[in-house]
Amino acid sequence: MILLAFALCTLVALAGVIAGRDHRQMNTACIAQSVAFFLLAGWFLLSGQVPATALAIGSQFFFVDHLGIYEVLISTVLFTCAAIYARGYIEGLLESGELQKGSLRLFYAAWALLLLILVLAFLADNLALFWICAELTTIISAMLVAILAARENIDAAIKYIFIASTSMLFSFIGFVFLFEISRTVTGTGTLNWTGLMGIAHTFPAGIATAAFVLVFIGFAAKSGIFPFHTWLPEAHAKAPSAVSAVLSGVLLNVGIYGIIRVYAIIHQTGSSGQVSFLLALFGVLTVGIAAFSMVPQRNLKKLIAFSSVENMGILLVGLAVATPVAIFWMLFHIMAHSFTKASLFFSAGILHRQYRSHLSSEAVDDIRDVFVYQPFAAWGIIIGGLAIIGMPLFPVFWSKFFILRELGTISPVVLFIMLFLLFLAAAALGYFVLTTFTKITDPARIPDIVPYRTPVNMKLPIIFLLALLVIGGLVFTQGEVSFISRIVAELRF
Amino acid sequence: MIETTTLAGLIKVLFVAIVITAAYIITTRNLLSGVSAYATQSLTLVLIALLLYGIEGSPVLLAIAAITFASKVLIIPYFIASIQEKIRIKRDIEFHFLSPTTSLVVSVALMLLVYIALGRVMAASAIRDNLFFFGAVLGISLMLMGMMVTFSRKRALTKVLGFLSMENGVLLFGLFVTELPFIIEFLIVIDLIILVLLTTILTVGIDSTLEDYHKRLHRFHLWEEEERS
Repeated sequence: MILLAFALCTLVALAGVIAGRDHRQMNTACIAQSVAFFLLAGWFLLSGQVPATALAIGSQFFFVDHLGIYEVLISTVLFTCAAIYARGYIEGLLESGELQKGSLRLFYAAWALLLLILVLAFLADNLALFWICAELTTIISAMLVAILAARENIDAAIKYIFIASTSMLFSFIGFVFLFEISRTVTGTGTLNWTGLMGIAHTFPAGIATAAFVLVFIGFAAKSGIFPFHTWLPEAHAKAPSAVSAVLSGVLLNVGIYGIIRVYAIIHQTGSSGQVSFLLALFGVLTVGIAAFSMVPQRNLKKLIAFSSVENMGILLVGLAVATPVAIFWMLFHIMAHSFTKASLFFSAGILHRQYRSHLSSEAVDDIRDVFVYQPFAAWGIIIGGLAIIGMPLFPVFWSKFFILRELGTISPVVLFIMLFLLFLAAAALGYFVLTTFTKITDPARIPDIVPYRTPVNMKLPIIFLLALLVIGGLVFTQGEVSFISRIVAELRF
Repeated sequence: MIETTTLAGLIKVLFVAIVITAAYIITTRNLLSGVSAYATQSLTLVLIALLLYGIEGSPVLLAIAAITFASKVLIIPYFIASIQEKIRIKRDIEFHFLSPTTSLVVSVALMLLVYIALGRVMAASAIRDNLFFFGAVLGISLMLMGMMVTFSRKRALTKVLGFLSMENGVLLFGLFVTELPFIIEFLIVIDLIILVLLTTILTVGIDSTLEDYHKRLHRFHLWEEEERS
């Protein structure tokens, strides 16, 4: 039934977008949709219906467990923030002529549809169905990247589609393997995650590993893991900032979510050792590549995008450690990263509106006198930056700390490498802020910058997310802890 | 009723046809013939599905054959061909990294590799006989060959062809390894059609933004002149 409610909300929102006469009405429809989604998911959780089986949901292909609802809640919060932010941001794009008025309807329709498909992906029990939803999110989000219709946007979108979709085909082969394994074991074959979890301990190790490796290729590409990360900085930097926040905060989670689900299955079989090694290897490589790419980076949005790559690597390492504590903090890190990264992209969006080059969209933003023109966004970047590098008392600090502590009990050498790389990434971010935010124009020169008046609705989401981060880092409620512990238990770690 | 061995023999002949079309897509410089090679490849898959139905008798195979025929033999090739008319790109002569000859050599190596790797992985599972094993190997090889096209060509349209060919590989693999529920095959086709639609429209977008590009360039020069004066 809840699925029907989600679909109905989307239909109403789509109708609102199509019937909407101006930008504000379409935007309101999308904000309303994400708020409704959040309330629905929250109600479902609080009314004690989670975990819900196929019967309660109304379809054998779907289910609701704590991990699913957790991801849905994160996504809906971010979509709400991003939709509110888009109200001011898209207005600016329309004024400057970067976005055609005719594309507006398409933009918001795709936006509403993307949220629905994301939620369906997180609630899909059937892995093939999940695969298709994940694949559709790629296509729709690529459309949102390409909406600006500038050549480099289209190039970035095409690169994104081809890298993600071709790799996702490997995942599909992996799922075919899983199906075949389950068919050999039970005789009928299933691709339902709950079903596979039940019989996973009987799977032969060799073919299960092969299945995981294939699945991993696809979802690694989706979440920007090395060596498939090349599309990510392009797409995230070129997209409108409201979209970048969604791409980084929600879309990357889809890939990691897929990896978590399949890893939970493989963890039951005898081959978890090899698979853990693989995850750790790619995790560390990803963090490494991201850290070294961040050092010379002069483009703020690309820098933040590479930081997303880095955090995906950390998640993989947390997953590879696979102790209950590590999994707990890995799950917490998903939320911490999503919120922090979205706030960073929002702030970067304001700076981009102020300092973007009017001559070429490829040029790096000429950021100077930030504290004169955009003090709010500058502080947003500074606080968000401190949060993402894991300064104490921010949520990311706790998750990084405990993941690394668990890693240290397994391999001190890898811990040392990780610490070095994380330090490098943090230093790169700090260096960028120190060099660009201190640039001051000679007072004798006539100022040529027209101050960009940031609309209130672009500031609100940033304030909200930063407040959430500060509170989230200081207060751990009993409910939060038991909720994430339930996920760990359901994943059987 | 034709005998199973005859059917199996026919399928093997069709395997050869698939390899030929794949090799053709890899090496061709002419887009239009690439599209018809893809349509032929899809038609071969339809025939294989029908022959498999003759052997196994599962009605899902008939449904798969029907949907493959409608989407991949008719709709998608027609769509790509009409887009191509619109943007007037006839040839894609640029190859990154790999020349056609090298690509062919690499494909042969890939096939051998897949054969060995799959032989090891499948040893544990109940893969029924030679024919099915070959089907699986060919499926994955076709996928990898498609991937090579996607990453070694420059034009988005040719990349789409590579991707489509990869997807054919997945279908082939699925046909021979296991019996997936029809709904999944159906959804994949939907996904494929949307992907093709979007990427081709974007390709047209690149073409139409060129004018905009010139405008911006023009503005740039103006600005330069102003500064000089």
